[in-house]
Amino acid sequence: MSSVWLPCGDYHQNYSQDQGWWQTTLIQFKMLTLLAVAFIGCPWALPQDWHWVAWVFAALGVVLGLVKIIADPPRLKGEWVLFPFILAVLLLYRLPDYYLSVLVMIGYYSMGALGVQLLIGYTGLITLGHAAFIAVGAYVSALMVLYFHWPRFIIDAGLAYPISIIVAGVIAGFWSILFGLPSAKVKGFYLILTTMAAQFITVDFILTQYVAQIGGRGQAFSLPPGTIKVGPWVIDSDVKVYVMMAGILTLMVAFVANLLRSRVGRAWVAIRDNDIAAETMGINIVTYKLMAFFVAGFLGGVTGAFWLSNTAALSPEHFPWFLSLWLVGIILIGGVGSIHGAILGSLFMVLITESLQWGVLPLTDYYDEIANTLDPGRFKLMLDWLVPKLLMDFAYIKEMVFGLAICAFLIFEPNGLSYRWWQTKNYFNLWPFSY
Amino acid sequence: METFVVAMITGILVGGIYALVALGWVIIYKCSGVLNLAMGELTIIGAYVTLTFYTAGVPFIPAVLLTLVVGAFLGYLTERIFLDKLIGEPILAVIMVTVGLSFFLKGLVEFIWGTDTRVFTPPVFSIEPITLGFLKISPVYLWSFILSLVLLVVLVSFFKFTSWGLSMQATADDETAALSLGVSARFVYAASWAIAFMSAGVGGALLGNINGINISVGHLGLLVLPAVVLGGLNSIPGAIVGGITIGVLQNLAGTYLDVYFPGGVKEIVPFVFMTVFLLFKPYGLWGWERIERV
Repeated sequence: MSSVWLPCGDYHQNYSQDQGWWQTTLIQFKMLTLLAVAFIGCPWALPQDWHWVAWVFAALGVVLGLVKIIADPPRLKGEWVLFPFILAVLLLYRLPDYYLSVLVMIGYYSMGALGVQLLIGYTGLITLGHAAFIAVGAYVSALMVLYFHWPRFIIDAGLAYPISIIVAGVIAGFWSILFGLPSAKVKGFYLILTTMAAQFITVDFILTQYVAQIGGRGQAFSLPPGTIKVGPWVIDSDVKVYVMMAGILTLMVAFVANLLRSRVGRAWVAIRDNDIAAETMGINIVTYKLMAFFVAGFLGGVTGAFWLSNTAALSPEHFPWFLSLWLVGIILIGGVGSIHGAILGSLFMVLITESLQWGVLPLTDYYDEIANTLDPGRFKLMLDWLVPKLLMDFAYIKEMVFGLAICAFLIFEPNGLSYRWWQTKNYFNLWPFSY
Repeated sequence: METFVVAMITGILVGGIYALVALGWVIIYKCSGVLNLAMGELTIIGAYVTLTFYTAGVPFIPAVLLTLVVGAFLGYLTERIFLDKLIGEPILAVIMVTVGLSFFLKGLVEFIWGTDTRVFTPPVFSIEPITLGFLKISPVYLWSFILSLVLLVVLVSFFKFTSWGLSMQATADDETAALSLGVSARFVYAASWAIAFMSAGVGGALLGNINGINISVGHLGLLVLPAVVLGGLNSIPGAIVGGITIGVLQNLAGTYLDVYFPGGVKEIVPFVFMTVFLLFKPYGLWGWERIERV
């Protein structure tokens, strides 16, 4: 059932309306604005002598506004008058590279968390080993790009990496099915253990001991510049990685959201809510559970393959058990059982750790300045020890904060950020009568 | 043959320590239904606390006893702060709180004690192996086994014979009935965490004697998970048998499989075994089979 608030007296009359992507013009406008911000606003800005394009858009907006005021055609909703102005602003500015790289991390975690969300939030299969499938995807893709003998024309067309992304997804999906097999018999905590086994067997054993040794370069696969190439573009700058991320993430979200509207998605939700009841309704729970594992593994594999474009060398240490737990933590913070949750959760976690960093760095600088003016004594000795340690052991503080954040969210806000988001949205949608 | 026997014996001896930690895990699960993934961190904390006392000049056995006291206090605190509010929440929430807890504790340990490997100096047990016929066993293993055996007996008899232990068993069996008979469930939960912290702490101290202490002792703490699954989640004898089985399996794998699969086969085998085992016996050896109805 759709959870969209329609204007008073406006009702859905059939199923396809109820399941529609964009049910009101306002929603369509908001989504298009979001996409425009993601694809145009963040990465690009017009060069100086092309600024007139933005002014053309602004003029178009003025024209639309005049048409709206004078003629008021019913098809031209008020939102579309605003849209050219927004585009004009987005064309003029872009984010600095640092913010883009932060966004890339957010996107990477969101992609990983989407697969986890599918398993935990929509099918009720708790997994603590998702990093294994991300790692499989990354390694399959890296091996294909580095060692596979591609026909000349594919390399020239820059198709090797895109093809390897798909193949990586499929292989990671099958690998995920392998570890999903016990889910036919066990659930709950026992299933958690088998997924943990997937993590340890795949990353700590197979990848570290065998796959990472291929080529005899020790632990890390270095990816020479120019190997990661999509079409004519070599992915070598923050902007290009960001655009890759935005594209893949958008496709993934669309894919998952569409899947959840289908028969498959409804079957998964039925299994999550009560698997025995689902079975009596004629759902083959083993098939659908394995299908969930496949899709989650596929998403994980694509995520891992994407990771190649953001790194210069690939090593099994990029995919520790910590990453699996981090992804589950993200969906818990974001909200279990919503696609927003995966994205809001990673936004929250990345921003928290980044802002901690911004907090600690000035603190140590400030302390260096004032250290000489302090009275020598116990207190100063303690600070002398503590302040440099804060900077040095920052990774551990990050871990502690992450752990506390998970605990706090589960205790005080078990529905996660997406529930807050939904409430805030409703407040404005129903304003001024939000009761 | 000789290598086989040596591997078996070493396995049983190390398995005794696993059994101790696994017992702590099962106690928490039995009494409060919490599936605890922070067991590895509890083990590390125990190891470091003992080490701190020991380096401060306290002899080993009193240091272990002090660790028990500190562990009981920390366990009580943990339960009160983090898990008290989650009674009756869904399984994922409770598990993930323990995961969050494990991150927090791990970060804390790394922040306080650093990540370098530390050893007990001077060594607690002599390095000279004890010779029994053709067997050569290093005293660390033997004494660890004996110490954990003693603690196992103490814990099991605590459960069987003291009124606290009995009230914990009653809560595990039927919480409502126990509440109506005047057992304080909150006390039981806190006590079970205190006991788990204590047993994990001693386990950590003993494991730390074998290879030195660093953050990877926590990975050994994770090995209790296959052990408890093997025995069935809510069975105390199961935890002991499971722990010893995992110890033996590990050592046999280290002896025989390491030739064919060089690398960390020792750490992986328990998990592989567990995955395959679950396919055939989903509830472990003595776990309660849950019959589900719609």
